[in-house]
Amino acid sequence: MSDRIVFEDVSKFYGEILGVNRVNLSIPPGITSLVGPNGSGKTTLMNLMTGLVRPTRGRVDILGCPTGDPERLFTMLGYSTQFDAFPKGLTGFQFIYSYLRLSGRDSQSAEQLAWRVIERVNLVEAAKRNIAGYSKGMRQRIRLAQALAHDPKVLVLDEPLNGLDPLARSEMIALFRATAAQGCYVIISSHILHEVDVISDQVILLSNGYVVAEGQIATVRGEIQEHPTQILIRCTRPRALAAKMLEEEIAIDISIHKDERGLLLKTRDADRFYLALNDLALNENGTGIDIESIAPADDDVLSVYEYLIGNEEAVR
Amino acid sequence: MKGSATKTWWAQIRAVVRLEMRKTFFAKRGLWIYLVAALPVLLFVAYALANSRFQHRTEEIARQGEKRLTYQDLLAVKPDMTREELVGILGKPPEVFHWTEHRNENRKENRSREERPERNEEGEPAAAVFHEDYHYADGLNDLYVGLADGKVVSINIREGSNAGQDSIMFAGVFQFFFLRLAIFFGCLGIFMNLFRGEILDRSLHFYFLAPIRRDVLMVGKFLAGLLATCTIFVTSELLQTVAFLWHFPPSVREVYLYHNHGLEHAAIYLGVTVLACVGYGAFFLVAGMMFRNPILPAAAILIWEWINPFLPGILKQFSVIFYLKSLCPVDIPIAPGTPPVLALLISNSDPVSAPVAVLGILIVAMIALYASSVQVRRMEINYTTE
Repeated sequence: MSDRIVFEDVSKFYGEILGVNRVNLSIPPGITSLVGPNGSGKTTLMNLMTGLVRPTRGRVDILGCPTGDPERLFTMLGYSTQFDAFPKGLTGFQFIYSYLRLSGRDSQSAEQLAWRVIERVNLVEAAKRNIAGYSKGMRQRIRLAQALAHDPKVLVLDEPLNGLDPLARSEMIALFRATAAQGCYVIISSHILHEVDVISDQVILLSNGYVVAEGQIATVRGEIQEHPTQILIRCTRPRALAAKMLEEEIAIDISIHKDERGLLLKTRDADRFYLALNDLALNENGTGIDIESIAPADDDVLSVYEYLIGNEEAVR
Repeated sequence: MKGSATKTWWAQIRAVVRLEMRKTFFAKRGLWIYLVAALPVLLFVAYALANSRFQHRTEEIARQGEKRLTYQDLLAVKPDMTREELVGILGKPPEVFHWTEHRNENRKENRSREERPERNEEGEPAAAVFHEDYHYADGLNDLYVGLADGKVVSINIREGSNAGQDSIMFAGVFQFFFLRLAIFFGCLGIFMNLFRGEILDRSLHFYFLAPIRRDVLMVGKFLAGLLATCTIFVTSELLQTVAFLWHFPPSVREVYLYHNHGLEHAAIYLGVTVLACVGYGAFFLVAGMMFRNPILPAAAILIWEWINPFLPGILKQFSVIFYLKSLCPVDIPIAPGTPPVLALLISNSDPVSAPVAVLGILIVAMIALYASSVQVRRMEINYTTE
């Protein structure tokens, strides 16, 4: 049995329209974010992963289970879709309870599990109300509850933070982290890049149906050669440090922070920069430069997204 | 292992049925199905009410009569009897209508002089005929006797409780309204919506995200539709039978039910109703999955079913009505002068035996359900293209 979510040369066309093309992925446990502008193929990729659509070409395999076998697939996978429609006339509790009964569980266990997950998404008070009267955030939470109800190993969440207030967002993020920490696979699509940045172990960047990059954010960033790496350094005597870096041709551009306590450096060879900085630290007494902190300034999803896809949809 | 899987499938089917029943029975868009199912019941209730009124009147006439009459007494009246002979047999009539007819005899001038009547004041030939209508009853049947100038000229017996005649009417309503229209369109409304309705509501993914085999889901939905249509139409059929039998006096009802196969016919009608739901349900389930617009397949199936008598033998077998007609217990007689096309529709020219008919419907339904199971496995959730 495979321990990965695998896409093998997967393409999906809706008639003449491209959904995704030639996707090859191997997703490990942890939180993986799908990032891309509208129409880039995020939802198609999730629907392919859950068997809601079939690939035109290629193969999708979830931990060794083909997506055409829903009976096996959905015992280990939960999917919170973006579809904002529910079976008519059901309360929040009935929605979850019916889903668990559909899974073949008996009445007692379905009821217990339903209440447990409703509590987990903090919807106990509204559980006996008809879903038709729920707010957008409540509907989002009940969908999450459906996806989580049977403790799946793989959790696929399409824009799960949409419509949630800040408190609920942080609760949900904590929930995703806890789920991933148990060795589960959490696949999230999101437009909210700073949140993706905070929670993701790895990202998959999509554009126009193609995967443009995948992996850990830092690794992806490192592979983008045409954009110099930006590093923020807090130190004493920033001008001296800048002069040294320019002299050794490590930096191609430097700007000094207005408080004269740091600088922003752009380099095409980060490794050489860090070696030089190590030398500097060892010979600190000679230069008088005291380095307080070093942090990559563009080693985040937002920057990677801007570099690879463009910035028209980046800041959401 | 296999037993455990089967147990799970049944649990899942029951869960699907529970969810679907709630939707099917209480959906606003399905209210018209109740109305269609209720129409023949209303028809028979109206018929029973009208018959009860007649019956009440018949009993009243019988009570008012000079003599207590039997059906044999009513049959004893013959044409050309005199008024006196008639009254001698049946007594003084409880209800009498009379009028005088003045005939203009201008056009009969070619008759012999002896036959010509006297002339009236204007000098035209005229004749006055004194008409009487007598109404007798034996408590169940009415006898209307027409007399002209004291002689019996017309005899009309209205049989109050003719179960045989009424059962043909019942068969007509069953075959031409209930089977071909009410159940047909009822099944269309319910079975087509099982998948198509949820695609339009954009809620089908709820089922597709559960760990349930698609064909098990299809079976669950089919059984839910079957349970709903059977509940609605079997109830309607039962109520029709009750309304149909209600106006008969207990003695007539007993004879019809226990000695003239009435009970057997009622049971067969219920069975045919269930089989019709199975057959049409399976057809419309697959049509609802394959077509976005239900009107086209519905029209095609409707036409296919109606032209069935005109189809070659081999094609006839791929329809539901072909088998249902063979199972109907009462043949509708074709009146002389009926146009041949209509006669062909009414008649059952190639009846098959009951076991073959039941098996035929079940096989046709199984073929449709197999097509549904193939279709449901291929289905994708792509609401935007719907």
